[in-house]
Amino acid sequence: MDVGADRVTFWFGCNMLRHAEMIRLSIMLLERVGYDVSAAGGPAYCCGTAHDHQLHGASNMAQRTVARFNAAADKEGRGTVVTWCPSCHLHMSDIMSPGNAAAFEIAHITELLADRAERLAPLLHVAVKRRVLLHRHVGLATHVAVNDRVAGLLSRIAGLQLVPGPAHPGHMCSALAAVPGALAKAARETWGTAVAEGCDTVSTIFHSCHRELAALEGKEGVHVRNWVHLVAEAMGLEASDAYLGWRTGGAPDIAAIEKADEAKYHALVEPELRKPPPA
Amino acid sequence: MTKLKTPRAETTEAFLAKAGPELAALCTACGACFAACPMVDHIGLRAADGKAATQGLRRLALGQAAPAETIAWVGACAKSGLCVAACPEKDAGLDAMLLVRIAKQQALNTTHQLPAKQDPTLFPRVKIFARLQLSDEELREWM
Repeated sequence: MDVGADRVTFWFGCNMLRHAEMIRLSIMLLERVGYDVSAAGGPAYCCGTAHDHQLHGASNMAQRTVARFNAAADKEGRGTVVTWCPSCHLHMSDIMSPGNAAAFEIAHITELLADRAERLAPLLHVAVKRRVLLHRHVGLATHVAVNDRVAGLLSRIAGLQLVPGPAHPGHMCSALAAVPGALAKAARETWGTAVAEGCDTVSTIFHSCHRELAALEGKEGVHVRNWVHLVAEAMGLEASDAYLGWRTGGAPDIAAIEKADEAKYHALVEPELRKPPPA
Repeated sequence: MTKLKTPRAETTEAFLAKAGPELAALCTACGACFAACPMVDHIGLRAADGKAATQGLRRLALGQAAPAETIAWVGACAKSGLCVAACPEKDAGLDAMLLVRIAKQQALNTTHQLPAKQDPTLFPRVKIFARLQLSDEELREWM
């Protein structure tokens, strides 16, 4: 099948599965600016970056994932893989593709939306009266100017005042978690700057930052949203955030827990939802 | 749009085995990447000898043991990427972030100077999060 510029695979990675609304909103935004989207993620599409200690296994994962995207390009004409996760983006670019022939290119979701910002702009018809601190990291800038892309998109929202936050080390918060004190310092600096700048909202760019900062929701009057939530609000769409609710004392519906596997929920998920905030 | 690289090996594992010595050969151990790294402050090594640390980086990329400062540094890599632009050999093809990543993998798997931090709950946990929120159709089509 011929590869079409508008037919894409949205590769949301593994850990974004905590944030189903963000996946759905991302797909919706890509569709609204004219892309035909097929979504893929989870362990079956692992990039292998979390398995540096098992190089052979990670290599096999990379091979399998590239093969699946090659098949999507070949059979469905999906010649662009749209990334969300900076780890996936870096790994595909720097490590997966030099060892596997890829029949596709990659682009970060913020690049595609920024390229079609003129199509998006008329859809942003609801004023979002928030003063927003953009939580930023310096990483990924080697490949994608993601901070600028998100700032550009948010600046199109009426009523929204954007304040650039401190540029933290790493490509996202999870990268800092392994270094004692680093994540807490980034969270403290983000929150301190938001309060000092009179912001009522911190906007995350990536899922792992959202996951970490969600525990601080409401602290000192500052709320946590992801950039896709803010764009959705400007479109007049529902932009709920289940993970944030669970992280701040709520819990999933009991029927959902039973469907997911109650024992595994209590063993694997609940400890994450109840762990102390990073700062 | 990020243009993907032309394959240089049959597998990712083979590529990494090839790229480590190639990048090490380009590296002059000048210490510029170490100086540019923001994580150096977090691990208390700002006063350390950057040239010695990057000499260790070259050794690791070749599969040889490195000094403790190098191990602490590569172990703390958070993919900030500031090393890439700081490297004076970048125009010669030296991707400093890739070199650090390969050095870290060698410290994990070859010299065993870094402990493997395997999280066996990673995939099971994200699967539970998926089942909590996704419809049957989404589970079938996306994963």
